[in-house]
Amino acid sequence: MIVADRKPLEEILDMIKECNKILLVGCKGCVTVCNVGGAKEVGILAASLKIARKKDGNPIEIDEKTLERQCDPEYVEQIRDIFDQYDAVLSMACGVGPQFLSEAYPSQTFYPALDTKFFGGAVQHGIWEERCAGCGTCVIHHYDGLCPIARCSKSLQHGPCGGSADGKCEIAKDVECIWDKIVKKKMEQGRLEDLRTIRAPKDWQTARDGGPRKSIREELVQ
Amino acid sequence: MNDSFEPQILAYCCKYCAYAAADLAGSMRLNYPSNVKVIQVPCTGRVDILHLLTAFEGGADGVYVAG
Repeated sequence: MIVADRKPLEEILDMIKECNKILLVGCKGCVTVCNVGGAKEVGILAASLKIARKKDGNPIEIDEKTLERQCDPEYVEQIRDIFDQYDAVLSMACGVGPQFLSEAYPSQTFYPALDTKFFGGAVQHGIWEERCAGCGTCVIHHYDGLCPIARCSKSLQHGPCGGSADGKCEIAKDVECIWDKIVKKKMEQGRLEDLRTIRAPKDWQTARDGGPRKSIREELVQ
Repeated sequence: MNDSFEPQILAYCCKYCAYAAADLAGSMRLNYPSNVKVIQVPCTGRVDILHLLTAFEGGADGVYVAG
């Protein structure tokens, strides 16, 4: 899923300081699963903003709405009847949400309440880690399911580098060296020889380096 | 804050212990401050952050959860 963090309350308050009535829109997709932008978090943020503004003697009216997803036009349409009743709309989706909303409603102003972080999963309750870099050409089968593109700080296809020590990466003590894990797993499986294979330089054109990407499924296009 | 300030306190009380205790206090004709407002909940496990925030938003100065 896409993992995000909520922006600090002060930053959000600053964004909407000129507004007296806003719509806060949540998303039931990824950000609900990572507990940052679902109906509950929308309620918490709305209450927090209202309390903060009331305390400043400048109360704000906030309506709440949580869409099935903010990355599909049919769900974005669900605020068609109400979007213009507000000074601004605050989106609690990943970075896709405010963009789809602003494309659908060009006359309204949209603000992001979240900082979108990465593609990842929950390793334990309350902790999410990056697992995919969305490079466009998956190679995890070469590394027994451990992706060095997303999980090595240098995205090395041949590792580890000299910065690996005691299973940790040199950039920080709490960052694991994925190449240490890859080598250990290959040794356990008796397939260390696999790592002698020289991989061709990765074609980063399928990643962000090739510019904004698009996926077209001909059979679905009408 | 002046001396006459009386905080409004909202108390979420578990039906089976804290609320029962408050009820018993009432039966015994004991008093507790009138600025404490009790709300019975089936279990304090039901109390969510939204209950706490809504209380503050509605003007409570303090909230306690008893169970």
